[in-house]
Amino acid sequence: MTPILRIEDLSKSFGGVKALKTVSLDVGHNEILGLIGPNGAGKTTLFNCVCGVFPPESGRVLLKNKDITRQPTHRIAHLGIGRTFQIVKPFKNLSLERNILASLCKDRTKGLSPIMFGTGLKKHRQEVLRLLNLVGLEEYIDQTPMTLPLGHQKRMEISRALALHPKLLMLDEPFAGLSQEDITPLLQVIKNLRSEGLSILLIEHNIPYVMELCDRLVVLNFGEVLCEGTCEDVQSDSRVIEAYLGS
Amino acid sequence: MLQQVVNGIIIGSLYALIAVGLTMVYGILRILHIAHAAVFVSGAYLGLLVYTYTQSLILALILAAVGCSIFGWLIQRFLYTPLLTEARIVPLIASVGLFILCEDLFRLLGGPYIRAFKVDLWFDKLIFFDTVVTAHQCLIVIGTAACLVSVYFLINRTKLGLAWQATAQDMDTAKAMGINIKQVINFNFIIASSIAAIAGVLTAINYNSVLPTMGSVPAYKMFAIVVLGGLGSIPGTIAAGLIIGMAETIMSAYFGFIMPRDAIAFSAMILILIFRPQGLFGKGV
Repeated sequence: MTPILRIEDLSKSFGGVKALKTVSLDVGHNEILGLIGPNGAGKTTLFNCVCGVFPPESGRVLLKNKDITRQPTHRIAHLGIGRTFQIVKPFKNLSLERNILASLCKDRTKGLSPIMFGTGLKKHRQEVLRLLNLVGLEEYIDQTPMTLPLGHQKRMEISRALALHPKLLMLDEPFAGLSQEDITPLLQVIKNLRSEGLSILLIEHNIPYVMELCDRLVVLNFGEVLCEGTCEDVQSDSRVIEAYLGS
Repeated sequence: MLQQVVNGIIIGSLYALIAVGLTMVYGILRILHIAHAAVFVSGAYLGLLVYTYTQSLILALILAAVGCSIFGWLIQRFLYTPLLTEARIVPLIASVGLFILCEDLFRLLGGPYIRAFKVDLWFDKLIFFDTVVTAHQCLIVIGTAACLVSVYFLINRTKLGLAWQATAQDMDTAKAMGINIKQVINFNFIIASSIAAIAGVLTAINYNSVLPTMGSVPAYKMFAIVVLGGLGSIPGTIAAGLIIGMAETIMSAYFGFIMPRDAIAFSAMILILIFRPQGLFGKGV
């Protein structure tokens, strides 16, 4: 079976710094792949190359066997990659409803009218409620993001990414900076999404949550894949321990 | 006194119309669009041209708006888009250059003199007690209200408007959420420029004159208004336009000896920059 996302020999440098050196990895169907590695290993750069924020120098990105390398960012979003950000980036002055509607803007096929008025607006609101319900935030639909705690903002970003009907969800450090009471519902949200058949690529530093969620891990160090395998394999790999703690 | 308030609202509405486009462009591209004043003047000339041949005001407004949309789009496509990766001063200088070029083009094409723009409406003036509202002033108020309501509707009730708001807040995130930025920028320039065109025609009718340099004072005064309202804030810009219009009219009517009319907006801008740089209605920088 072809993987959802295949990254082939991706390279990217900034000035003289080689941020990514021929990185290859696959994300399978209905899989949660964890991407870990020390700070500066190139994890977010990899995300940005996949999403078209900046083009890679060489290599290819395939989404369901379709080459999406060097497509503009919004096209890649339409083709089925939804993402969240390491530092949350909600549309601050818009209500949660309009934050998520902004993602639905691309949807011209599903009978959502270009003019949001009367019944059109009602239909939009139902879809937004469905999406917020997936992350347990439907009661906050009319609030603006900055009035909510960080954990809620992060879940809102997931919901906004889901509005794209993605084939692959990419989460950049979803647990960073969250308190325990925010973490538990977020873990549940991610598990629910996987059980509904979504594939997820996850960057995370909190190893316990990575172990709990991920099927496989890929470890990046200095822009290269250091090793990959199941959580147990990676945990006991001496090179990984060395990369994190130094020899 | 009431008469001055009416006059102030008229001037203020025209200022608001010109400045709204400027604030829209700043909101999306973070470019100070001085050449917007050239779009405004070309609207006045186009409107006059169409009106002279057809004697239809509606047609003059529509064709001026269409013509200026194209002009605005061309500026965006061939001047700003190639310069977007440069430092922000570069498109600003380019914009000033284009504005000066256009002023001379208007002089060459339209002649270095004032042309009359005389429009006869079906009534002459309304008189409430001893306050006179001319038919032209009614036209300006109606035209402004129609434009502003349309902008409100477009921004708040359409998908493209929502995409515009999202892009104005965070362009990179908007892209990642599937919003086609090019479409939003096109929409932005088309709306901003057609409103400038309508403002141009209405201003020309108000003063019964079209001249090549009619854009030079608005070019800089609309900045004062946009700064006063908070860069990028549409409601703030409209309020600031009305405030400046009102302040100018009342000050020059009653305290005309203190400073010339055009100095008021700039004094307000200087005060705002010192004491409240985010503008009266802005939400921080």
